[in-house]
Amino acid sequence: MWRDILPNAWESILSRIRHLYLLSPVEVQTSLSVKSISHCCCSTQAILYLPRSFEYSQKNAVLVPVAALGVGGVLFCWLKSGHKMKIIDMGDGWWGSEERPFKGKEDATIRPFKIETSDKEIEYQLAAQGHMPAAGQPGKKGSLPQDLHQRLDRFRFTPHVEGAAFHYGFNSTYLRKVVAYWRNQFDWRKQVEVLNKYPHFHTTIEGIDIHFIHVKPSYVPHGRAVRPLLMVHGWPGSFYEFYKIIPLLTEPAKHGLNEGDVVFEVICPSIPGYGFSEAPHQRGFDSIATARIFHKLMNRLGFKEYYIQGGDWGSRITTNMAQMLPQSVKGLHLNLVFIARQSLGRLIRIMLGAYVPWLVGFSREDARRFYPFMQKNVYDVLRESGYLHIQATKPDTAGCGLNDSPVGLAAYILEKFSTWTDKSFLYQDNGGLESKYSLDELLTNVMIYWVTSTIVSSMRYYKENFSKDPDLSAHNRVGVYVPTGIAAFPQEIVHVPRVWAKDVYRNIITYSYMPRGGHFAAFEEPKLLAQDIMQFVQKVEQL
Amino acid sequence: MLLEVLLVLGTLLIYFLFSKKKEETLPFKDGWWGRGQKPVTKEDSGIRPFKVETTEEELSDLFRRLDQARFTEPLENSCFHYGTNSVHLRKIVSYWKNQFNWKKQVEVLNKYPQFKTKIQGLDIHFVHVKPPRLPEGQAAKPLLMVHGWPGSFYEFYKIIPLLTDPASHGLGDEHIFEVICPSIPGYGFSEAPHKKDFNSVSAASVFYELMLRLGFNEFYTQGGDWGWLICTNLAQIAPNHVKGLHLNMVSVSKLGLTHLLSILLGRYFPGLFGFQDEDVRRMFPFLKKGLYRILSESGYAHIQATKPDTVGCGLNDSPVGLAAYILEKFSSWTDMEFQNLEDGGLERKFSLDDLLTNVMIYWVSGCIVSSMRFYKENLQKGIGTQKHEKLTVQVPTGIASFPNEILHIPQAWAKKKYTNIVSFHFMPRGGHFAAFEEPELLAKDILQFVDKVEKEQLWKKKGE
Repeated sequence: MWRDILPNAWESILSRIRHLYLLSPVEVQTSLSVKSISHCCCSTQAILYLPRSFEYSQKNAVLVPVAALGVGGVLFCWLKSGHKMKIIDMGDGWWGSEERPFKGKEDATIRPFKIETSDKEIEYQLAAQGHMPAAGQPGKKGSLPQDLHQRLDRFRFTPHVEGAAFHYGFNSTYLRKVVAYWRNQFDWRKQVEVLNKYPHFHTTIEGIDIHFIHVKPSYVPHGRAVRPLLMVHGWPGSFYEFYKIIPLLTEPAKHGLNEGDVVFEVICPSIPGYGFSEAPHQRGFDSIATARIFHKLMNRLGFKEYYIQGGDWGSRITTNMAQMLPQSVKGLHLNLVFIARQSLGRLIRIMLGAYVPWLVGFSREDARRFYPFMQKNVYDVLRESGYLHIQATKPDTAGCGLNDSPVGLAAYILEKFSTWTDKSFLYQDNGGLESKYSLDELLTNVMIYWVTSTIVSSMRYYKENFSKDPDLSAHNRVGVYVPTGIAAFPQEIVHVPRVWAKDVYRNIITYSYMPRGGHFAAFEEPKLLAQDIMQFVQKVEQL
Repeated sequence: MLLEVLLVLGTLLIYFLFSKKKEETLPFKDGWWGRGQKPVTKEDSGIRPFKVETTEEELSDLFRRLDQARFTEPLENSCFHYGTNSVHLRKIVSYWKNQFNWKKQVEVLNKYPQFKTKIQGLDIHFVHVKPPRLPEGQAAKPLLMVHGWPGSFYEFYKIIPLLTDPASHGLGDEHIFEVICPSIPGYGFSEAPHKKDFNSVSAASVFYELMLRLGFNEFYTQGGDWGWLICTNLAQIAPNHVKGLHLNMVSVSKLGLTHLLSILLGRYFPGLFGFQDEDVRRMFPFLKKGLYRILSESGYAHIQATKPDTVGCGLNDSPVGLAAYILEKFSSWTDMEFQNLEDGGLERKFSLDDLLTNVMIYWVSGCIVSSMRFYKENLQKGIGTQKHEKLTVQVPTGIASFPNEILHIPQAWAKKKYTNIVSFHFMPRGGHFAAFEEPELLAKDILQFVDKVEKEQLWKKKGE
């Protein structure tokens, strides 16, 4: 087929050139044969000696309009698709343990809730989590502090090798000190009062109880609008990570932050399976289901448009929310960016970027944080991702012992608060934990996992999200068009430059290099994060 | 033109000559793994008898922990896909508390003579079983059998009688063994190293010293899991002392172009790559049986090779957690299909008594953390980077390839490292814990391998 078209095309080119340059046929051929159309050599020799067909001009008359139509059509489709944004299908789900009720709507009430210490039994709370009574003792449990203290007292300790610091994991000598503090000085009752200082609620969505805190500013100056802000935590964190940043966002003036007219009411839910949110009883509960549930939550609270913020799993969930219902998301703020797609082009850009960062769109700070590539992005990631690997494959096994040994749970969780806050903490015997956090804060977060028995369900989230082929995952192919703000913290596990984030986040309004801080941004550097959120929101409001 | 061709050929020739794996030996790795500085005085090299003991206190502590275990309900219809199913785990815990008799199991453990001796600063535990009777004029052949993770010396308790007294079990009495089963330092009743860098070469060196101390100049070695690597290293350290090396597991650490090609095309041109029909049956489809299987089963290795102290911490404190972690492997590594069963197929091939005895060894010795550190010491620099991985093995080797092993390595690939494979057999059934699950099959294969080596006096040839 191409042999028919090609000689025609070739003929027309030649004739035009001859017209322009008045060359003889043979000269034209020689000068043109050095070009790439070598496969035409035989046919061209032949056609040049063919009698020129008088149908040539007619064929021309047909070809040109057809070509124009084709090109025009492609252009038209491309323009049209540019306007239509791809979104993730919202879908629906049911995660309760009983059959989904056919008749009657779901109970949509929002019930206030207070965390209880247990001088009383905490059986009610545990039953809500799908927790089964202890083997051999149906129904009754001792009081929490008693049970916890017994377990702390009989912890079996393994000495570490000499010079281990935190290179083998949580240093057991330091762990003993933490356990001693936990046993003798940590006051859970007092911490529960701290937790209860913000109002907590429960509401049932898609068959499971969703826990959230909802903090409104106590005082709103006349004429100022209050923006709703949904903040989503990650693993191994909880809603508690936001307790220091909430006052900065609801009452900025009181804390010396005068970022214009922005004041927030903050909603921090617990991801289902974490903390006081009920764990899903069905398989397949991933970040898209979570995004949908949080949209329903905001809707139930009466919000049509809101800001969303997240890091770790919160980053993925809020990204999905923006991809699912962009009209409801006024702005998306992230302190961690997930980039899953690698390509050959990217690999080449990585290699070039080490020498000419400006050529691939890296800033100097990008280059400083990104290179050396193998060390920071391959070896460090491999070293830190063992937990991810086992949780994404065998969560029930990995979490079993941790739900039974509070010290084991603390070691597992606190190791992340050490290494993900600052990689150099690996070299310290005490993991540098107390240089950025207080033991009270750290243990309160651990206690949330302990009293709710949610470590296993929190780990299952990894399997539900990672067992699907990443290339088929919706959020990798759907762009994010809502205004986005990114706070890039220097000690985050992996640094993602703006030019890469743009592949997914097509509407980046702000991208800030934060001066200090690691993975748990809200917990560790609440002021820096609050300031970045506020200046982002201000910019969005002005759009 | 001719000059260019000759140059190219010449370069290729030189390249191949120099790239051939040199037949060096692996140097013996001396070390001091005890606490603090190595003392000036010579180490006590006496061999002391050892008996496993238990106390009432130990048992009541265990029962209290079992009573207060906190379980998490599994997802609906998840069987063993998410790990050990906690509904089934509760049944096991109930058995553990009410029917399992640790005192009786301790007597079972003590039926074979056990000893301890200090080597390189560590107390090494081992079982040493001599044949009950020897025909006139025949000497017992020493056989060192090394366990792996999450196993122990107890895995060999069913195969030992088949090897020390084969005649009573219908296996013929041409070859009778005296069996030595040590515990890897950091496992069971062997002391855990107090210093960093105790890897498989260190373990092989320690076991080599052990065999010499017991008076054996020439011996056979057998192993699977870590035992595979330790015995391989031992054959590389002391090829003149290891008469034969028998393995029920093989692994490759370097995947080169030939491996890649054989993965891509081996299904269609098996003969070209030296694959037999059974190889193709076990290896392909490669994505499912190779890559995905490795990814889904190696989470434990990844976390143990990076953060052993963290992951082991809770397991040393919760016997239920420890059992869940260990028994999961006895399920999926015996047969990958067991993941689809609600009970993980655990009791199809093993008795609960046997499984729990193995778990109890980890519990009463408190060795789970140190057992996991072995992964870090061996894997932290990455697979394929260590010196011993680049050296070959010239000692006569016998490989028993079990069908449900996690990853199947064909003889064509094993040949590159084990240059003197005397026997390679496809076993009809069985998985990773061969000695524990199919002692008779494994014993038969060991016997036929030793028979070949002895008849053809193969161990003498390897010096050439």
